[in-house]
Amino acid sequence: VTPVGGQSFDDMNLLSDDDFRGAVRRFVEANYPPQLRNQTRRLHWSENRVWYMALSAKGWLAPSWPREHGGMGLAAAKQLIMIEEFERHGCARISDMGPAMLGPLLIQHGSESQKAHFLPKILSGDHIWCQGYSEPNAGSDLAAVATTATLDGDSWVINGQKTWTTLANDANWIFVLARTDRQAKKQEGISFLLAPMDAPGITVRPIINLDLFDEFSEVFFDNVRIPADHLVGAVNQGWTITKAQLGFERVHIGSPRLSAYALARLRQIAERAGVWDDPAFRDRYVALEFDLADHKALYEIYAGRLKRGEPLGHDVSLLKLNQSELFQRIADFMLEIAGDEAGLLEPPEGDRALHAAGLFLLARPTTIFGGTSEILRNVISRNVLNLPN
Amino acid sequence: VLEYDDREQHIRIIRDSVEAVGPPGDLSRIRRLRFTETGFEAATWRTICNLGWPGLRLPEVRGGAGLGMTEFCALTEELGRRLVPEPLIEVAMAAEFLGDSDVERLLRGEFLVLPAWQEGPQASVRVEAAFRQGRLNGRKSFIPAAGGADGFVVLAREGPVLVRRTAPGVSLSLRATQDGGHYGELILQDAVGDPCFGDFTSALRSATLATAAYLLGVMEQAFAITLDYLRLRQQFGRPIGSFQALQHRAADLKLCIALTRASVEAAANLLDSAGPEVDQTTAVRRAKSRAGDAALRVAREAIQLHGAVGYTDEHDIGLYLRKAMTLANRYGSAHAHRAAHAIDRYAGGLS
Repeated sequence: VTPVGGQSFDDMNLLSDDDFRGAVRRFVEANYPPQLRNQTRRLHWSENRVWYMALSAKGWLAPSWPREHGGMGLAAAKQLIMIEEFERHGCARISDMGPAMLGPLLIQHGSESQKAHFLPKILSGDHIWCQGYSEPNAGSDLAAVATTATLDGDSWVINGQKTWTTLANDANWIFVLARTDRQAKKQEGISFLLAPMDAPGITVRPIINLDLFDEFSEVFFDNVRIPADHLVGAVNQGWTITKAQLGFERVHIGSPRLSAYALARLRQIAERAGVWDDPAFRDRYVALEFDLADHKALYEIYAGRLKRGEPLGHDVSLLKLNQSELFQRIADFMLEIAGDEAGLLEPPEGDRALHAAGLFLLARPTTIFGGTSEILRNVISRNVLNLPN
Repeated sequence: VLEYDDREQHIRIIRDSVEAVGPPGDLSRIRRLRFTETGFEAATWRTICNLGWPGLRLPEVRGGAGLGMTEFCALTEELGRRLVPEPLIEVAMAAEFLGDSDVERLLRGEFLVLPAWQEGPQASVRVEAAFRQGRLNGRKSFIPAAGGADGFVVLAREGPVLVRRTAPGVSLSLRATQDGGHYGELILQDAVGDPCFGDFTSALRSATLATAAYLLGVMEQAFAITLDYLRLRQQFGRPIGSFQALQHRAADLKLCIALTRASVEAAANLLDSAGPEVDQTTAVRRAKSRAGDAALRVAREAIQLHGAVGYTDEHDIGLYLRKAMTLANRYGSAHAHRAAHAIDRYAGGLS
């Protein structure tokens, strides 16, 4: 039913891909703060809040959530288009742990009262979430988490330490993987819990990364008590419910955007360094140019599978593996040609685009987070090539 | 343009039809034909013609099937998987230049014509051969499978010219290649020829891409054989494929192959959708340089992962290495394509 005077049921899935892309593009151009374009590091909540709230007001904060929960109910292909348009414009990532990670998980596994309480607060920007997964001794081997949660009357009591918690210093809530059964097999004794960051016993200690930015923190839990109903899903089912990652995220993490950005910077820096016309430089540049074009072709294959609703398969790991290593090859080459400017702490002439050292450092963690390159090679050899254990 | 599903279906049928020249695992025919005079079999060539492969991309009015590069690449990839030595890519290229009656005979398998365009080991279209007053003079070399040819489309400065092998003034000598085939060298002294017509750049582009696809098949099969070996071969009481050092190398090869497939298929798609000429050229250069590098890498690694048995002529894996060695540089090496792209794209200053 279309009421007089406008279209109230504006289901974006009904638009053609091109029309949808146009709508996203117009919205981004009209609403994204120009001074925040093309950032090379994550933005704190104080910086990205204005964009988060603009998306929230438009109803576009949670593309993947069903419409009944305040999301867009958008098909995977259109979610990808949305991300592509954000990237094209150079939009920074928002504080997205709530809309991107916790929300979909609550919708699938949360109780009715959890959904009713937490989902609206994500959409309103009242709750900013961080992800308490990694620990000092549980990185690639995440199932080794040692933080414990013990039921004591009507409370869970959490003890332990999380680390590499992205933007924990901005968050007012944290979702935590904690061990609730020490006897069970390591994947089968983990539960998923929600805790307010202002609960007594939680301490946050920021970690300064190689880019001299407080992107991560350690989060300490010292007898932190949370209500029993802050457990999501069943006890000891935490591993199972967190493992399933959304299809479009597995494709998006292999987006060619960073490498494309880096290759354009490589050219600028080469011109500045006076090697752009050097045939030895040119041969390596063209090799990287071809690598990027082929990566885009690989990306299109997986994006195409998403668009046609086909299953992705474990081989989607190839995409992130190639993207991160290509990004590093470009950034490494950039550092190699930049002369003594490679060692500069601040961008030459205040222009981030010319800062080889900045991009070089930005490229370091991409082969570590979201599955190290080594873990991805394990996944490919075991699950795609079926090599023996 | 066909709908996605229809096209996928077509391609599956084409791939399945390649079983007619044998399963990928059986290389006995390939071994038997190595280093023989023609390097391929007349009977198999007839089968290939009966299946309509040389005319796959020719328009239907010329007796072809009117299909695109995507289909042709799927076909040559399957041939590569089987190391098929019959010169389909070259004959299909030559067919583009022939008049209707010659093409009819070519498609029936009665007239095997090969392009003769290179004049040295580098895949270059700079030619010296000349065609004046109906007579050809010059020297052409590196003509694959020339020993089985009935005629040649010779690229002269004036354009392509058809010359029969038995015509006076035509002499042909052969040099064996690593894959068991050979290259012909053609000496033309006042040889009688007939001018023919066609877009040589476009024909060469198609043959280059089809060769990249053939190499994709070569590396796919070499990799499949190697994976089987990693699963079966036991050392230190366990399959060697359980060692992480080898698993990670296998994962890297898988990535190499996936990138080659993405590159080849994207280029085929671009040619089929008649994208801008310059984009087609770039896409084919990219695909061929990717395929050349990847095929050699996969083949080298395949030998290494097989250990000592990989260095024997008895084991099939060596046949894939020899094929990769022969084809990696045919229609231009990885380096040559990158260098050509650098000149075209950037030599005129900053674009």
